[in-house]
Amino acid sequence: MSDPTSSPEPEFLLELNDIQAGYGRAAMVLRGLTIKVPPATVVCLVGPNGAGKSTVLKVASGLLAPRSGRIVVNGADVTGQGPQEMLTSGLAHVLQGHSVFREMSVAENVLLGAYTLRDKALIAERVEFVQSLFPIVGERWKQLAGLLSGGQQKQVEFARSLMVSPRVVLLDEPSMGLDPKTTATVFEQVVRMREAGVAVLLVEQNARRALETADIGCVLDLGCVHITGPAPELLADPQLSELYLGGRPAERAPSTDG
Amino acid sequence: MTGTLLFQSLVLGVLLGGLYALLAAGLTLYFGVMRVVMIAHSAFLILAAYLAWFFHQQTGMDPLLSLVITVPLFFLVGVGMQRLLITRLRPATLTMMSVLLTFAVALFIEGMIGFVWSGTQRRIQLPYSGASIEFFGARIAVVKLVAFALAALALAGLYLLMKHSRFGQALRATIQHREAAQLVGIKTDRVAGFGFGLGLATAAIGGTALSLDATIYPSLHWHWIGPLMAIIVVGGLGSIPGAAIAAMVLGIGQSLLQVPLGTTWAQTIFYVALFATLMLRPQGFFGGRLAQRF
Repeated sequence: MSDPTSSPEPEFLLELNDIQAGYGRAAMVLRGLTIKVPPATVVCLVGPNGAGKSTVLKVASGLLAPRSGRIVVNGADVTGQGPQEMLTSGLAHVLQGHSVFREMSVAENVLLGAYTLRDKALIAERVEFVQSLFPIVGERWKQLAGLLSGGQQKQVEFARSLMVSPRVVLLDEPSMGLDPKTTATVFEQVVRMREAGVAVLLVEQNARRALETADIGCVLDLGCVHITGPAPELLADPQLSELYLGGRPAERAPSTDG
Repeated sequence: MTGTLLFQSLVLGVLLGGLYALLAAGLTLYFGVMRVVMIAHSAFLILAAYLAWFFHQQTGMDPLLSLVITVPLFFLVGVGMQRLLITRLRPATLTMMSVLLTFAVALFIEGMIGFVWSGTQRRIQLPYSGASIEFFGARIAVVKLVAFALAALALAGLYLLMKHSRFGQALRATIQHREAAQLVGIKTDRVAGFGFGLGLATAAIGGTALSLDATIYPSLHWHWIGPLMAIIVVGGLGSIPGAAIAAMVLGIGQSLLQVPLGTTWAQTIFYVALFATLMLRPQGFFGGRLAQRF
């Protein structure tokens, strides 16, 4: 495995090549899916329920092993490896819903994010960094994470995932169940992550909102990527708006393929 | 009931509650970490008591020294049992099937004990077996105090391990959110194995404590599993502090009820508490928030 600090910046921080994946004996959820995420870029997956958006993230973070295909994180081939190896390759995954350790303090949660690190000085430095990024984390440091509001818990989860200083962050429906004000805060943090050089792969129900933040959009349907393009173009496409973004009725565009 | 008798019952209840607390902590740990209902927990308890008795009989040394062997042995057996048996169960039906699996393990252990040491009742005779001390008018057997001290020390050790060690943090994280634990780099399968071993280690300590003061026979474990199961449901499945508190309360209750009702009817307090809990508060009295906390 190459050392990420010395090797030249790879063109893509996360590559999913021709992935096939599914659960148990049920039909495949992903059927030959390819997604590539360059550095300092937010890629947003949009698509109907059951298109396989969350499964893409689970495959990318090693929670679900693909049946076939290749996964490259930060230049290293990590196909078939578990979450721990993915983490050390520089990838972090923030799950859908609430995934804080509810009966632990915010401090314990954030420090568990550094579970794979041993360097105390480095950990202290990162704690300071995530506290500056998410002030609420520092303010609620000693409190039980399960007692925070939904939006605050989400920020604890972000902080926890950033403790390993990941190059790639996977976010699964970060705005789910949040009020509009907190949603705005969450998307603000996504932009901050991009500014910090992180590659973000984002799944959102609120597709319009997500595409406004994202650089690139991928439309997923039936386990394949149908359309990939710059997010503003996807937003402007009237047919896409109608089909996937719950948008205004518009006249049909001639073609959106390719 | 005279004041002295009441006080004596209360003290004995506390001493009994301590042992219940340790054993129930182990039992609820399996459930918390793996959603496993471990029927064989009390069978391992009796096995440890037999090993303590056998150790004493063979070497003439204090049965407490058998802990040096049984604790690491049971830990390893626990890890092996989790890795080789429990993980073979399908996740979808794990809890249900674990009842059958561990029931079989309990029968196996009971049969093995009977085969090796026969069904004869056994009891350890120690120089201090008959000794007792006077405590504000109550007479307390020294062996009961030793057993309680052992259980209390083990519980305190478990608490420190869960609260302050790296392994304890990983175990609690695994209990609270398994996927999130994997995503911070915790190897949850390995942690679950160690958690199971830790549960069995509590049975080793509890069994040794029990052997000091009890007459043991192969089928004795059936008398223990019912009250222990009731305790962990009352305390909230998966909650170690809940189990400890419920164990103490019910242990004291049992001891106090023995005076007017006799030992057989006093035992019903566990089942009355179980039914009452399932009717009034099925998540257990310390379920919910306390359930995953340590």
